[in-house]
Amino acid sequence: MSFDLNFIGILIGAIMASSVPLILAASGELITERSGVLNLGVEGMMIIGAISGFALMVVTDNLFFAVIGSMLSGLILSLIFGLLTQSLLTNHVATGLALTIFGIGMSAMIGKNFVGIPGKEFPLLFLNLKESTPFLGPIFFGHSIILYFAFGLPFLTNYFLKKTKTGLIIRAVGDSPSSASNQGINVKLVRYSCILYGGAMCGLAGAYLSLIYTPQWIENMTGGRGWIALALVVFATWSPIKVLIGALIFGGITISQLHMQAVGLRIPVQLLSALPYIMTIIVLVVISRDSRKIKLNTPTSLGQIFYKEK
Amino acid sequence: MNTKLKVSEISKIYPGCIANDRVSLEFGSGKIYALLGENGAGKSTLVKILSGVVKPDAGEVFLNNESIKLNSPLDAKKNNIGMVFQHFNLFETLSVFENLSIDSDKKDKELKVLVNDILKKYNFKIDLDIPVLNLSAGQKQKVEIIRCLIRNPKVLIMDEPTSVLTEQETDDLFISLKQFSKDGILIIYITHKLKEVLSLCDEVAVMRKGKVVSVSNTIDEKIESLANKMVGENLNTIKKKINNFKNNEEILKISNLNFKSDDPYETNLNNLNLSLKKGECLGIAGISGNGQNELFQILSGEIITEGTSIMFRNKEIGKLNPRERREYLMAFSPEDRISQAAVPELKIYENVALNNFKSSNFFEKGLVNEKKIKEHSKKILSNFSVNTDNVELKSQFLSGGNLQKLIIGRELITSPELLVCFNPTWGLDVGAINYIHETLIQINEQGKSSILISTDNDELLKLSDRICVIYKGKLSKIMNADTVTAEKLGILMGGGSID
Repeated sequence: MSFDLNFIGILIGAIMASSVPLILAASGELITERSGVLNLGVEGMMIIGAISGFALMVVTDNLFFAVIGSMLSGLILSLIFGLLTQSLLTNHVATGLALTIFGIGMSAMIGKNFVGIPGKEFPLLFLNLKESTPFLGPIFFGHSIILYFAFGLPFLTNYFLKKTKTGLIIRAVGDSPSSASNQGINVKLVRYSCILYGGAMCGLAGAYLSLIYTPQWIENMTGGRGWIALALVVFATWSPIKVLIGALIFGGITISQLHMQAVGLRIPVQLLSALPYIMTIIVLVVISRDSRKIKLNTPTSLGQIFYKEK
Repeated sequence: MNTKLKVSEISKIYPGCIANDRVSLEFGSGKIYALLGENGAGKSTLVKILSGVVKPDAGEVFLNNESIKLNSPLDAKKNNIGMVFQHFNLFETLSVFENLSIDSDKKDKELKVLVNDILKKYNFKIDLDIPVLNLSAGQKQKVEIIRCLIRNPKVLIMDEPTSVLTEQETDDLFISLKQFSKDGILIIYITHKLKEVLSLCDEVAVMRKGKVVSVSNTIDEKIESLANKMVGENLNTIKKKINNFKNNEEILKISNLNFKSDDPYETNLNNLNLSLKKGECLGIAGISGNGQNELFQILSGEIITEGTSIMFRNKEIGKLNPRERREYLMAFSPEDRISQAAVPELKIYENVALNNFKSSNFFEKGLVNEKKIKEHSKKILSNFSVNTDNVELKSQFLSGGNLQKLIIGRELITSPELLVCFNPTWGLDVGAINYIHETLIQINEQGKSSILISTDNDELLKLSDRICVIYKGKLSKIMNADTVTAEKLGILMGGGSID
């Protein structure tokens, strides 16, 4: 095994690719949670996105439709969550858990007919630059458009929340829905929008898995990434940039420990596999220690059911 | 422009209670109007109707002789009626400016100019970029007022605005309100504090049991006359006989106690020394935020200190937690009734059970002895005149006064040797305040001691045998109450010194 520069470049490129689904899902969930809604259905929406994307790709032979379809399916699932929690005032936690269980089961059912079908090649950008630029080539070039979007998303999210009026309204609703309602803000509309956006991003995260990262359908192929995304949002204390850092650390250690396993270090495989989870949490806890900032970023009303008093 | 506001024959009936019974009042700009009444007199209902939060069952509101419909808070805003509620409608984690801009259609730049003009005009000092949660209650209220001022209000309604303010902040508020009034804003001031009515308002309407019982000019009124109109009976003023306790047994001694907090928003306490005799009431005055919270927590055991720093009846208790201290016959009534003293979602008897002693046998073999707790609770309700005998009632449905009676009753029914209370009459009406004061005097007469931490100087002068002032975490010299005047307290509270 050689540690030349080019190899490190390829390794970093692989790490970036593996963190894309986490970034997408976590950024979406972050907006949802900032409005005060805790949607634990991320895993379910991701896997429904994965199977819908893959199935649409097989049926229509069109990757564009597949990607849009996966986002729509995530959105529809989150709409169910919205109807239950916002209009019928069910408990956020229980509803989210049910959504995940439903999503996993549903995807397995739809997916039966799609097991073993090979995926389609997803167009990658700047392939010639990837080959011709040493070290930096595999890092910056030769990725799908979704990866570039994913890496821009945390910055966009940050800007959106901090600098735009809509972002301000979302934060206000997450802080105190009753005050927001007294100010004439339509709390339900804001929360529905955030839930739907979160759903669409989870769907997209699923599509990235089944269309690009491992282009095929395997039952339960999200493998807990939805839960990691949820944990990232919390441990990153609702800061989009820290979500990006967390996702990269998680991806980085996942890929590195695979290499370590391949080399045959005398560390138990189980311990190595657990490493990404432990390290990500440790790093995020360490970088988010400022209790003042945590207080300011935490949506105070997270998970609370809101209804207008008469 | 002159503004005239008239409410005519307003009625609002809730199940089991007539909140407003054909209320008619007239207001004109240039004056400050007091709406005076005890809790539950119907004044809050009336202002909720004026601000569009509640719809009346009958009656009309006229602004400048035109009938207006107030179906929602937005309608009130459209009619330039501004309202500052007792509980703030602010977003704690957003900055001051964000709080203002969320409610405004103006561009951020324009708004900033406007807000800065308002800040300058009324001499408000608020940093627009810090989050609201870092503001004091007085500053938060200013943010609420600015939010109203941005919309050029014709009418400004203030609902018990001083209940969360320090005396200095109250003075500032009164100066601002007088200025607004001069600028032509009609001000309606809701309160149950008589002194404020006399020092601030031009006219006063007194409400009792949903009806307006009197409208008069404040110059024609005195505290006693207003109090009697408000309560509807003659109140005897309480005055405690101050005793000398020099020769009594010492019950509590704090020596050289220091407390250093890691939280930048808490106050450090420096070199605290005090002693308390049996049967004595020690008053601790001060502007809120000078270390009263920390002192209370040190006394109650929420903050643990060195064992020897606090001696209670010759025992070292500094390391004991609140429950262990209660076993030693200390009792505590914290400032915040709803979040510290009681759990509002729990029933009365469950709240009583929270304060359980080894000797009370509320729990047997890990099971709840409901019968015993309920009997005990009933005793508290009747002994301390809580206006319900239903121990199954959720505590959140008790009014502030009744909840406080329940809390004090829960503490006192075990006959503690020392009661520490922190702002026990905060936000209560005259009747309830009177009752609590009588109770506190009674326990001293029974030879029990008390420490009264309060921001209400009248209360301190009325109840204490000795008084000291806490300022920036330091205690002043402890003085005999008969040598202390409100002026002296004021100087010490502001950090000055007296001989």
